[in-house]
Amino acid sequence: MTEPTRVAAAGGTVSAVLPFLAGGTDLIARAAGEWIDLRDRTELTGIAWQPDGSARIGALTTIAELARDQRLRAAYPALAATAAELATPQIRAVATLGGNLLQRNRCAYFRAGFACHQNGGACCPAREGIARYGTVIGSGPCVAPHPSSLAMALLAYDATVEVEGRGHLPVASLYGEDPTRDHLLAPGELLLGAELPPPVAGERAAYVRATGRVQAEWPLAEAAARLVVAGGSVVLAAVAAGGVARTPVRLPEVETALLAGAPIAEAAARAATRCAPLPETRYKVALLTGTVEHVLAKAIAD
Amino acid sequence: MKITVNGIPLEVECDRADTAVDVLRDGLGLTGAKAACRTGACGACTVLVDGTPNAGCLLPATAVEGREVITPEGLEHPVQRAFAAHDGLQCGYCTPGFVMEAAAFADRWRAEHGDVAPPRAEIAAALAGHLCRCGAYEGVFAAVAAACAGDFDGGGPPEPARVEAMAKITGRARYSTDIRHEGQLEGAIVRSSLPHARVVSISGHQADLLGEDRTVRYVGQPVAAVAAPTRREALALARAVEVRYAPLPHALDGTPGGPPVWGPDERANAPSTSESLCLPGRWSDANLRGPFTFLSRRGRTAERRLAAARESGDPRLTGGTFTAAAQSHTAMEPHACVARWDERGDLHLQMSTQTVAMTAEHAAERWNLPRDRVHVAAEHVGGGFGGKMGLTGEAVAAAELARVRKAPVRVVLSRAEELACGGNRPGARMEISMLTDDDGRLAALGVDAYGRGGLAVSSMVASLARMVYGRAPRRLRDFDVLTNTPPGGPFRGPFAPPLLWALEQTVDDVAHRRGEDPIALRRRWDGNRKRQALYGWAERLPAWTGRPATGSQTGRYRRGVGVAAGAWQYMVDPATEVELTVEGDVVVARTATQDIGTGTRSVMTAILREELDLPAERVRVEIGMSDARHGPMSTGSRATASVGPATRDAARRLRDAGGLADGRRVVGRRRMDRLGYLTPFPVHGNAIGRGLAGSVHVTEVEVDTLLGRIRPLRVWGGIAAGRIYSERLARSQCEGGIVQGIGYALHEERLVDPVSGAVITTNLEDYRIPGIGDCPEIEIHFEQEGWDHVNGGGVGLGEVSTVGVAASVGNAVHNATGWRPHDLPIRPDRLLEGLSR
Repeated sequence: MTEPTRVAAAGGTVSAVLPFLAGGTDLIARAAGEWIDLRDRTELTGIAWQPDGSARIGALTTIAELARDQRLRAAYPALAATAAELATPQIRAVATLGGNLLQRNRCAYFRAGFACHQNGGACCPAREGIARYGTVIGSGPCVAPHPSSLAMALLAYDATVEVEGRGHLPVASLYGEDPTRDHLLAPGELLLGAELPPPVAGERAAYVRATGRVQAEWPLAEAAARLVVAGGSVVLAAVAAGGVARTPVRLPEVETALLAGAPIAEAAARAATRCAPLPETRYKVALLTGTVEHVLAKAIAD
Repeated sequence: MKITVNGIPLEVECDRADTAVDVLRDGLGLTGAKAACRTGACGACTVLVDGTPNAGCLLPATAVEGREVITPEGLEHPVQRAFAAHDGLQCGYCTPGFVMEAAAFADRWRAEHGDVAPPRAEIAAALAGHLCRCGAYEGVFAAVAAACAGDFDGGGPPEPARVEAMAKITGRARYSTDIRHEGQLEGAIVRSSLPHARVVSISGHQADLLGEDRTVRYVGQPVAAVAAPTRREALALARAVEVRYAPLPHALDGTPGGPPVWGPDERANAPSTSESLCLPGRWSDANLRGPFTFLSRRGRTAERRLAAARESGDPRLTGGTFTAAAQSHTAMEPHACVARWDERGDLHLQMSTQTVAMTAEHAAERWNLPRDRVHVAAEHVGGGFGGKMGLTGEAVAAAELARVRKAPVRVVLSRAEELACGGNRPGARMEISMLTDDDGRLAALGVDAYGRGGLAVSSMVASLARMVYGRAPRRLRDFDVLTNTPPGGPFRGPFAPPLLWALEQTVDDVAHRRGEDPIALRRRWDGNRKRQALYGWAERLPAWTGRPATGSQTGRYRRGVGVAAGAWQYMVDPATEVELTVEGDVVVARTATQDIGTGTRSVMTAILREELDLPAERVRVEIGMSDARHGPMSTGSRATASVGPATRDAARRLRDAGGLADGRRVVGRRRMDRLGYLTPFPVHGNAIGRGLAGSVHVTEVEVDTLLGRIRPLRVWGGIAAGRIYSERLARSQCEGGIVQGIGYALHEERLVDPVSGAVITTNLEDYRIPGIGDCPEIEIHFEQEGWDHVNGGGVGLGEVSTVGVAASVGNAVHNATGWRPHDLPIRPDRLLEGLSR
């Protein structure tokens, strides 16, 4: 689940720390070479419920399980909906939570093997070439949006992740703007699972994925929202978005507007304030605000 | 490692780096699961692991250790018979994967819901991980629904829609990728990493694939090849080949004044983007060829009228600039060839080709052999669409390697090679002007089209406007914009989709301006009698009569209905012969044609059974072999109209000869049409016949104005191609044409990096073909009159069924939103941007 990181050793020889293999749907597709197989670590599989109503999800739990589990669907509907809509049934059957959080990005240049920042080079060919599916938030040298839909959903749930030897960390701390990698775990560090705090009474949640085709496509933009509405006003708002930045992002400006009583469309429009589009990703400003608007409406309607 | 495969416990040897699909295919010879993309995007490799569908290409072999694997060969399920009966397949390459997934879904569905047909959306969601390039989705929907309802629980095999259906469904049908001889090696191609360079030296290779000029002109051009016992070893050898280049200046964006792709004395070497002929053309700039104006009609009159209208600001002048992206063929079976030289020095090519006969001719020329010493075989072909014609690069590499290594060599292109260099419909820019007179008649048409076929030439986008809207004056000018990128080639209805994208939307603009019904306007302008009948059918469709007023909607979701007409030439191979031999009590038919998924084998079988009154088991059609008597290429919508009449003639000759005596042999010919052909003599086995096939497509879309998605809901396809040989197969092909047209309209875009010249859409996630969820509900209507002069009464429909689809989507989007799309594909970003203006 972590990535192969080549470490230059003394004398110029190169040794590699092998990546962990979970479901393998990213690692095998990239033909990334040798791996350390995790699939006998059955203790990392499954959902455990704590007495306070919180859930611990093992890193090797499959996406299909997240989408299917009745209790998870009731407690964390936006997470379950995200799991149900990503990829395809065959991928979901084997891909895992951990693998989804730590997979590599989907930039066509990276996948086609260009020597970009992510492939050991020192440039971003998408920036010089075709950046249409790139970021609209942030201005890092790499413009590949973060690919993990589940990370975005966990962010909306204020989840933590457990890393072997380091304990619990906020999910956001897995990610950063470093253009050479898609997560910040060190080579050999193992992600054990994620923990979600107990659901808040009365919360509603939804997930929306904007794509060109109906299914089986990486999102141009996506959003998850959790809301508690009491007495006609929003008293809790957690809104996260993906497909737009190098990391999954929370949208505090949207949340603040909702808590202040702004109508949905107006609150959603606040997402635009943090956008810094590339010439080719200007459309993503409207797409992001539209996606947020839709997810808020959907959450309220639920 | 121990696994149980199809109920049999096995001990298999495997490498840690092997995937499950490789172990099944290469280790166990179970080739039903296909390794078509190797990134888990297409689902063709699906197998059941402990009952759950899995993408075999993403499973490490070690992951199936100790588990139970069912491959397509081992499945027994009612869904299989449902696919056969409802024709949920065409070329069949993706079919085993669909069937495995559908079987698991049907079991789950029936356990949860009982024996009822699931809603369409449920089926689409279950099959989201599968791609079918033929677009057989309507048949798949019908098959899965029927199987879930329990319609196929009874044991016996149903009458399949195509004769080889069960062989394809159960994975027993062998495609070129599945062939394995004793001692066979795997080949890999080393490709150019630069867009333009002189190759100084190559080392570590086994075969040299460069031409005499030692020059590469695009990233991905074959340079050399290597072979080894396994694919992995071959790829490692290929990586180790060292190519030294002397870079040359390159042209990637097509702007004037760029360094020439072809020097003045090299221009004759430029390949053609057309099917066979390279049209004459002058070069007006180093990288600009044209104009080719030969198919204009009263071109100077048209030019004068358009210029005057422009000058005076005539409001009756309509037009604009339209663009279309390049489209990759993306056949699910990649280009594949197994080459073998026998002890006599004969060359055997078992390959995925649309042209066994022509390929044999080209190979004989290439290796300087008599034509009868080359044997090309293509028993099953996993889709072609125009991309598998002649002596293609994988066959050259395989044959060269086989000669050097003195062993059979298989070369199969990877999906990345296929998408980058396996062929494409060139992108194009069209500038169109349309002038009407006081009576609303077409007074002048001007089309300037700039084709972008990479380093290939002979675009004919504008020229095809000769075929439509009567005899009005028209100036048609075709140009080629050359770049150091891979060559474009013929693709299902070459050049027509981009022309109609521009033309049919401009016709709609004229109608809109005049306040006239778009179908009524076409009726007035269109002299083609067969299409007149289609207009009558289309304008009575409830979707058409009930369509909204253009631009009248303001909500988030807006519906619209659009129409587009299309035309295509009628082509035929007049030299086609079909030989019948009575072998025991079976009549065997042979001709050098092939079945790329259109159903040629089934059409021939049906004719023989009808004429000779025979049961299925007493007729066998053996095609896909170049050694047989001359047969048509499966291109240019000509196969059925060529072999159909020849098959019938052969059957009648057999009857006349006194019936089915063992050993009797007759040859049937494709007799000439009553009025002869437009072409005085056949060129490359091709005659252009009299009359144009016609189409009218009506498309209903839903536009999500918030998230930029266009969803085609329903498409009605009206086809005027005369007598239909096989209703179900014809319908399948027309449905597939619509699905491909929707891909062209909304999703497909082959992207070339403007800096390096490399294609970056190298997998099936970045190159987006429609999935089953993108398939609208489709109704096909055939007008069968008007082809009495044609021997057999009917002509091809593979191309006319796709050419106008994108334009009908464009007109529907305009009807829904009031915004006119000009650029293909109509991506979400373009829609959002267009609507915000």
